Amino acid sequence: MNKYMDRNRSLGEFVHGEDDDIIICRCEEITKGEIRRAVHEGMMTMTEVKRYLRAGMGLCQGNTCGKLIKGIIARELEISASQIEECTARGPARPVEINVLGNEVESNE
Amino acid sequence: MMKRYDLIVIGAGPAGLSAAIQAAKNGVKVAVFDENKSPGGQLFKQIHKFFGSKEHKAKVRGFRIGQELLKEAEQTGVMVHLNAIVMGLYNNKEIMVNENDQTNHYKADSIIIATGARENMIPFEGWTLPGVMGAGAAQTMMNLHGVKPGSKVLMVGSGNVGLVVSYQLLQAGVEVVAIIDAAPRVGGYGVHASKVTRTGVPLYLSHTIVKAEGTETVSGAVIAQVNSSFQKIEGTEKHLDVDTICIAVGLSPMSKLLKMAGCKMEEAAGDIPGVDENNQTSLEGVFIAGDVAKIEEASSAMITGRISGISAGRYLGYIDDEVAGNDISKLKNSLAQLHKGMFSPENKGRIDIEETDEGYKTSESLLKKGYIDDNEILSFPGVPKKKVVGIHPVIECVQNIPCNPCQDACKNGCIKVGEIITKLPAVDPDMNCIGCGLCVALCPGQAIFLVDDDYSDDYATVTLPYEFLPYPKAGTKGIALSREGKRVCEAEVLYCRTNTAMDHTALLTIKVPKEMSMKARFFTAKEAL
Amino acid sequence: MRIDKHPVLEEFEKGEVVEFTFDGKNMFGYEGEPIVAALQASGVKVHRHTTKTGEPRGVFCAIGRCTDCVMVVNGKPNVRTCVTPLEKGMQIETQYGIGTKE
Repeated sequence: MNKYMDRNRSLGEFVHGEDDDIIICRCEEITKGEIRRAVHEGMMTMTEVKRYLRAGMGLCQGNTCGKLIKGIIARELEISASQIEECTARGPARPVEINVLGNEVESNE
Repeated sequence: MMKRYDLIVIGAGPAGLSAAIQAAKNGVKVAVFDENKSPGGQLFKQIHKFFGSKEHKAKVRGFRIGQELLKEAEQTGVMVHLNAIVMGLYNNKEIMVNENDQTNHYKADSIIIATGARENMIPFEGWTLPGVMGAGAAQTMMNLHGVKPGSKVLMVGSGNVGLVVSYQLLQAGVEVVAIIDAAPRVGGYGVHASKVTRTGVPLYLSHTIVKAEGTETVSGAVIAQVNSSFQKIEGTEKHLDVDTICIAVGLSPMSKLLKMAGCKMEEAAGDIPGVDENNQTSLEGVFIAGDVAKIEEASSAMITGRISGISAGRYLGYIDDEVAGNDISKLKNSLAQLHKGMFSPENKGRIDIEETDEGYKTSESLLKKGYIDDNEILSFPGVPKKKVVGIHPVIECVQNIPCNPCQDACKNGCIKVGEIITKLPAVDPDMNCIGCGLCVALCPGQAIFLVDDDYSDDYATVTLPYEFLPYPKAGTKGIALSREGKRVCEAEVLYCRTNTAMDHTALLTIKVPKEMSMKARFFTAKEAL
Repeated sequence: MRIDKHPVLEEFEKGEVVEFTFDGKNMFGYEGEPIVAALQASGVKVHRHTTKTGEPRGVFCAIGRCTDCVMVVNGKPNVRTCVTPLEKGMQIETQYGIGTKE
């Protein structure tokens, strides 16, 4: 099993960092400390962190924070960011009002 | 029936439009979708002159290239759906689009994805305050909407974006208080750094932003020095009086649609799609163009766009193999010219380059301080080593940048770059310069000056490129600044001229004491400094 | 905050001058320019206050990607002011959380 997915691995005690209060996900107002803590609580993938904290789930859909969150998880797990799998890409790729999504047009001609 | 096209292009920026044009020229029925209200992507905020050679539209300002592209798109019958937000791309080459608050579906036999890139960010204390913004945001506000993003700006990042936007802020009448970079070297082209530095903007390398101050909006910034592992050195904090902080720390591909459709990425966890030599992704008939595959200059994006347009045309059966192969190899040659030299994609991140391709020792000072030091300047081929009688060009272009408009500008053949456009321009010591100044005005790096040491017994003249308003009038007295942006001597404006060919780069000729002709490189009418 | 004359672009093409309101105050801008341009030109930088901490936010990406500049426009919240053209008589309000101030 690779280091990334080894869920039995101890990450050591959570130590509060001086920049933990900085907001990372601007839309959902999730701080660096919250993301770090989530990793310590067992959220080791982007998807898990997103579902646990809503980081990257706001209006902009992780456009700004995605890369930052990836870096924070990687540092916490002491692995390279390129090993961290990104969230599943699914539509809608841009925020859309539900009435627009419901206003689906079958024929375009 | 779902509306069908031969080819759907997602994104009407330089790459997408070029792809669509190239496909349409070959008879492909193509539709372009873009979420913005007007096409052109980020090209219309690029108001500087582009590098390259004639075939890359060198010395033409980005927004004018944009206008040309739009005209070409119209002539070739490319249809652009604007305000059309592509929300989904599926592996059966179907797209889901939000248009006029309605969800529409379209299908094509081939897809080209040209969604471009987004700005990277660095988080720091206070980075959510109004007044902290992407450098691209500042550029959009001033160059597209004609509104200043602030009045005193700190630029974070010394790559080409940070340097170019800093210069454009100055052009818009905004004060750039400082440019900082955590790296110990300037990230972007030396010429971009030089044209900002000589106006007096300080460059702090090995510095990071610690925090943005303020409660409602930015009222200041704190920067600090970092060590070689980019850790802040305690006690080096410095306060800057700014109301705006711009972040220019690189770009990343916006490849979400590609992933959604199931295209394989280069690294399983990365955002860069894997493509073949014709820009086709792992999905047959799905191609990419521009920054979504690799972050580069718009000039390169337009070429990769054309390659993808041809590839899609061939895939769809509109272009036969041989013709497509020939056209693609021509475009690849053109791209290869842009990919040479010290800033080539394979040299990205390298800091150990000590010589130019020709074997000239690189300017350390340019990398570490943002300007060429007086004691380095004479070693480069664009700077005459022996005394030249009368007016002559001094070319302070010392890095292998793909660019050669200076060579074409001189009708008397005083300037030579040669076949390989990344070579440093050399001046002929026995030149016959007539002082027309076209080389000065057309150099996209603003690195050429005319010097006349024989103006009078005591005075020399220096002619420099000038893109600020108001143009100083003849007789204006002021201060000549050095490459470093420091006061060198008093100077008087002799004339300030421009014409259509120079496209808003004026030639400012100043009179300085003879011994200052190789030091004076900028002029300010202000007394201070 | 407007750029009167630009050394490269000369003058900016603008629509008609129109009146709009920002939090009830009358202001002027050019029809068709993004709302953010009209606000910035009038010195307005704070577009909203966030849901959780109530901190101020303004323009950040200016091209419709980051959604930081959203405001309540004609009663509708979450409108990206950087890509929404200004219209005559628009009622633009600071957004608090996901609505207007109670």
